[in-house]
Amino acid sequence: MRFWIVVLRHTCRNMLHTWKSQGMTLFTVSLSVLIFSFFYLVYVNALHVGERLGDDLRLVVYLDEEPAPPLQEEYRHKILKFDQVDRIEFIGREQAYKRFERILGENSDVLTGVPTDFLPASIEVYPVRTLDSLSRIKRFSDYLQTLPGVLKVQYGKEWIERFYAFIQLMRVIILLSGSLLIMTTTFMVAHTIRLTLFARQQELELLRLVGATDNYIRMPFLLEGALQGGIGACCGLGALLLLYNWITLQFAGPAAIPLPAFAFFQWPVIAAIIGLATLLCVAGSFSAIRRFLHF
Amino acid sequence: MIDLIKVSKAYPPDVQAIADVSLTVTRGEIVFLTGMSGAGKTTLLRLISRMEKPTKGMVDVAGMDVIKLPQSSIHLLRRKVGMAYQDFKLLPERTVADNIAIAMEVVYRPRSFIEKRTRELLELLDLTRKYNTRAGELSRGEQQRVSIARAVANGPEIVLADEPTGNLDAETTARVMALFEQLHRKGATLIIATHDRSLFEDTPHRVIELRFGRVLSRSEAGKDDGPAPFEAPPALFEETGA
Repeated sequence: MRFWIVVLRHTCRNMLHTWKSQGMTLFTVSLSVLIFSFFYLVYVNALHVGERLGDDLRLVVYLDEEPAPPLQEEYRHKILKFDQVDRIEFIGREQAYKRFERILGENSDVLTGVPTDFLPASIEVYPVRTLDSLSRIKRFSDYLQTLPGVLKVQYGKEWIERFYAFIQLMRVIILLSGSLLIMTTTFMVAHTIRLTLFARQQELELLRLVGATDNYIRMPFLLEGALQGGIGACCGLGALLLLYNWITLQFAGPAAIPLPAFAFFQWPVIAAIIGLATLLCVAGSFSAIRRFLHF
Repeated sequence: MIDLIKVSKAYPPDVQAIADVSLTVTRGEIVFLTGMSGAGKTTLLRLISRMEKPTKGMVDVAGMDVIKLPQSSIHLLRRKVGMAYQDFKLLPERTVADNIAIAMEVVYRPRSFIEKRTRELLELLDLTRKYNTRAGELSRGEQQRVSIARAVANGPEIVLADEPTGNLDAETTARVMALFEQLHRKGATLIIATHDRSLFEDTPHRVIELRFGRVLSRSEAGKDDGPAPFEAPPALFEETGA
């Protein structure tokens, strides 16, 4: 207990002595966390939107002949061989006609005299509604096109491709902002700790001479890094929450443009971001003291 | 308590600071190390406190093989050895009290104990008024006394003092020596490196003279039953748990 009191006292003293660089580091960590968590929030919500849009997603494979049950089994087998799917439905010519008739409703009389087998038989493939399935849909479609007896494959190509491109872009941005987060937190914290180490070099040498343990010397610096990471992450997430509330308020109300359900992070995600930032800052701090104190 | 066996220390390119020195200091003994500047007194003390490693030989302090002592265990040795440095090694921006307290903080002494002990030591060394003065503002003599106070603050088993009275007047020298005698009576082992002959002229303790890194002469320790040659003020060291 006394150890931690001493460590805390040393940490506070260190941070007060270098308060300017501490402030800069906190600002940088907060900003990095804000940028990263902003894009991550957009990404997570985009995934939810994708899942909802995926409810209507299906691939319609038009066939030149209505497949007999053994052939249906073969098709099913070949489709499942490529990818896992939610379900597969075989639509015969007559079933397709009935469905079309139902869609036409009151205007179904236009079909008078038209043979009931004029529509091609088809297979409706419902992919699993995950982002990975969405990203593979183009390849899935190309594969289905190669199956024997297939005339044409249709799916909501345009929006899926745009959506997928957006998700891909978000992934790249998250990777970049994540790298920014890692670099800034690690390097900035390491730099600040190095400044503190330089400022206290004489004292650290003396501490060794009077019998301080390695832990006694290094722990205040690790705690300093952890505090910078933790406080910085809390500030960054706090700023994001303010931004989120502001955006929600701006688009609230009956006259406003309806936004898809946009949710803030759950507590486990918040805890993970704070934990990650703290860990990175401790790593930065550790690298600085290891180099400087030769532990 | 302290054993040096055929210890040599050379600095690059070819400075032989210590050459084949063998020395045994028993528990509770006071030994004066003397010799001219550059004789190897400071190097010997630095070897004992593991501030340096010898080029060859063996150094054993309080049952610890100092050479083989891993980095992570050096604190165990340093807690047994209090050293007053020739260059004082004070933190000039910190107060006198902080400079003394640092030695007690690392062994997790309670704040109340640290404050009491610091005041006690400052009173003994006639520095009471300097409690809150920054160490950088002190005279060299005062700095020397603060360095000594820090060395003895934890009541170490071994005290190494490197020219402890080099900047002091006769009266203050007597105070410092009285402090050392007090520690000696409490069972501490002291090695005092000095070229001030007045400190050991009539001493009953052992005097070892170094020259060019070698032991030149050894005077046998006299019988140490009588009163100490330096008069110690009363109640110098109360039982404070140090």
